[in-house]
Amino acid sequence: MAESEVNLTRTYDAIVIGSGAAGGMAAHVLTSHGLQVLLLEAGKKLPIEKELRSMEWPYDNPYRGQLPPDQHSLTFNEYTIRNPPYGPGFEKAKHLKSYVGSTDYVKNIVVDERENPFTGTNYAWVRARCLGGKTNIWGRLALRLSDYDFKAKDRDGYGENWPISYADIAPYYDKVDLYLGITGVKENLPYLPDSIFQRPTKLNCAEVTLKESLAKIGRVLTQYRAGVTSDGLKHNKYRSRCYGRGACERKGGCDIHAAFDSPTGLIYPAMDTGNLALRTNAVVREIIVDPQTGKASGVHFIDNQTLRDYAVRAKVVIVAASTLESARLLLLSKSRQHPNGLANSSGHVGHNFCEHIMGPGVAGRAKNLVGKQPTLDDGRPGGFYLTRFRNLAEKHPKFIRGYGFEGGSGSTMFPRGTDTHGFGAAFKEEVRKNQGAFVGMGAFGEVLARYENYVDLDPAVKDKWGIPALRFHYRFGDNEHRMAEDMKETAQEMFEAAGFEITHVSSRVLTEGWSIHELGTARMGSDPKTSVLNQFQQSHDVKNLFVVDGSAFVNASCQNPTWTIMALCWRSCDYLADEFKKGNL
Amino acid sequence: MPKDNPIDLRQDRRQWLKTSASVLGATLLPMPAVAAETTQTEAAPAAPQTKPVESKAAARFFTPAQHALVDELSETIIPADSHSGGAKAAKVADYIEQFLGESFDDAQKSLWREGLRLIDVMSRHYNGKSFVDASPDDRIAVLTILSDHDQMTDLPEVRFFLELKRLTVRGYYTSKIGIHDELEYKGNRILQEYVGCDDQGAAS
Repeated sequence: MAESEVNLTRTYDAIVIGSGAAGGMAAHVLTSHGLQVLLLEAGKKLPIEKELRSMEWPYDNPYRGQLPPDQHSLTFNEYTIRNPPYGPGFEKAKHLKSYVGSTDYVKNIVVDERENPFTGTNYAWVRARCLGGKTNIWGRLALRLSDYDFKAKDRDGYGENWPISYADIAPYYDKVDLYLGITGVKENLPYLPDSIFQRPTKLNCAEVTLKESLAKIGRVLTQYRAGVTSDGLKHNKYRSRCYGRGACERKGGCDIHAAFDSPTGLIYPAMDTGNLALRTNAVVREIIVDPQTGKASGVHFIDNQTLRDYAVRAKVVIVAASTLESARLLLLSKSRQHPNGLANSSGHVGHNFCEHIMGPGVAGRAKNLVGKQPTLDDGRPGGFYLTRFRNLAEKHPKFIRGYGFEGGSGSTMFPRGTDTHGFGAAFKEEVRKNQGAFVGMGAFGEVLARYENYVDLDPAVKDKWGIPALRFHYRFGDNEHRMAEDMKETAQEMFEAAGFEITHVSSRVLTEGWSIHELGTARMGSDPKTSVLNQFQQSHDVKNLFVVDGSAFVNASCQNPTWTIMALCWRSCDYLADEFKKGNL
Repeated sequence: MPKDNPIDLRQDRRQWLKTSASVLGATLLPMPAVAAETTQTEAAPAAPQTKPVESKAAARFFTPAQHALVDELSETIIPADSHSGGAKAAKVADYIEQFLGESFDDAQKSLWREGLRLIDVMSRHYNGKSFVDASPDDRIAVLTILSDHDQMTDLPEVRFFLELKRLTVRGYYTSKIGIHDELEYKGNRILQEYVGCDDQGAAS
């Protein structure tokens, strides 16, 4: 890659804060328009070829793939008591990680919880600080939203509509599909539009059984729509096509980058334009405002390692630090002109915080597969997606909006079913015979965007760099809990109808944050009084400030957000570049 | 031991704990000394176990006698069969030893020391022999008592059994024998085409 020198004395056309899905996309689009861009990432640039060890056998790993003994990743129970990461009982863990950081494969990607404290209500906040952020280890399910989401208020009266419709964003979904690659099968569903798919993965036999059973009641199970290139991308020399190798279930990143990650998918190609400078270890603490114009003029950042403070200037500032970090940064950027924080004349920054509720699900066995020869099910980036079926044509009496299920089945490197009772020869045989017959799925449901669900700055607690921590005021509400009840019931019914032997039904709602789909803290809208950004993710208050990540979402829908984040960002950055060239920013 | 009568673990343990207390006498020493006691009564030709384990290399956690006991315990959890090798062949005891040797969790370490002691006490009570000296069937009988009472997690021997099973499972199914011989895992190799149900013939 042609990595440009970072020059902190010049004024860049644009500074992009954050290098995940949104920041990487902003860097790609703006550099392709010829803008001189500085990309700032709070974490380090990992030696990614060494970090992502997709093909490593557990017996070749010093800890069999588990975390080293001096590290601990938080469990469900530990999230339910406040202040555990920093309190008694955790002294022995030199490094504390979120629940995602429970393997040796992601330990350098997710942050140390102690260095990055937060307060308030319970939240399983998963943060990755390194080039590419969470895209290095994301779940890869790449779904589109539709007007069932963008215009949801028109359907049930709740919340706000987005200031765009599907027709506005559809061409940008297409661009993302073609530039990054996506696998899947066309289904022609109005509520879950198709992408321009590459060669799909295949359903295994348990999944086919479930699909056929669901078809009888008009529900749709489709191949996991994965943000993975299965045919390869001629325009990208950093990524290989998927070879179906496994162990994809490990979710420790893809070493050949067939699965999209921001560094190889977006940032390295952007560097090759010669228009991108990258500064890692740059923890941005404030967006600087010009006292004359009230516009953004640059940022202050602290070097992650040396703790030295720097300032760098730009004509446009693009915030892409992830939904919660972006809100935090706006709230931190107080000035005479913007006393409530930048872009916050509406008072909506940090509010309308929403995501997906998860936990309810079901696991079982396809009885006809018990004892069959093991198959390679672990070389697929994902198993299946069971699309939303609630509140489409009919209104559900107990809740609004919907949910879908992510599921998988078959053999994995570490067998499912080791929770089988007993021990000895019978136990061993049981695990062996059942390994390929496993099938399971878990729901992801829309959490309603509510003004009362919000984050603000903690008045006392600061992070390792002295920056005020985020304080959570966030709980699932009645609609979510009623929906979760339904998720459990339908999951069980659908497995029973498919003839699966059910081994486990989960009704437990996981801690807020578990889905890692946090959204909505700087929502778009056409009314500056009730929204932070316009339809191009441009601040209503500050014309040269854009917030291009999930914080711009007006609602969470029930579909996974990454593909929409990137499509929206592409659209906004096209607009940005155009306005920039016209001198309007 | 009687196999048909259901065992009342809480009732029984009063008895075998009494016996074990008299064997131990007033010495009430930490586990290395208990292991030494085991070694002596078995007259095993092992090196004298006088030094505390902690003074040895970090990865060493068990005395040789304890290691031998864990070897047999893990093999009882996942035995060799006609399909593949068991926990012993997969060196699960080494894995567990490394895991505990490097662990910072003192409660977990204590549970293992106490658990190994209690297993032998139980084996002597029910089988009249140490666990290592007992026949495979008698070993199974001891662990069956614990497995059948696996809800009684207030009892240290039950908690130990669950930990033994957890770490044996972890160590075995991440070993070469576990992954390749036992489960015949098909992944981690390059495929030209995805494999699906259509490619495997009719499933039903």
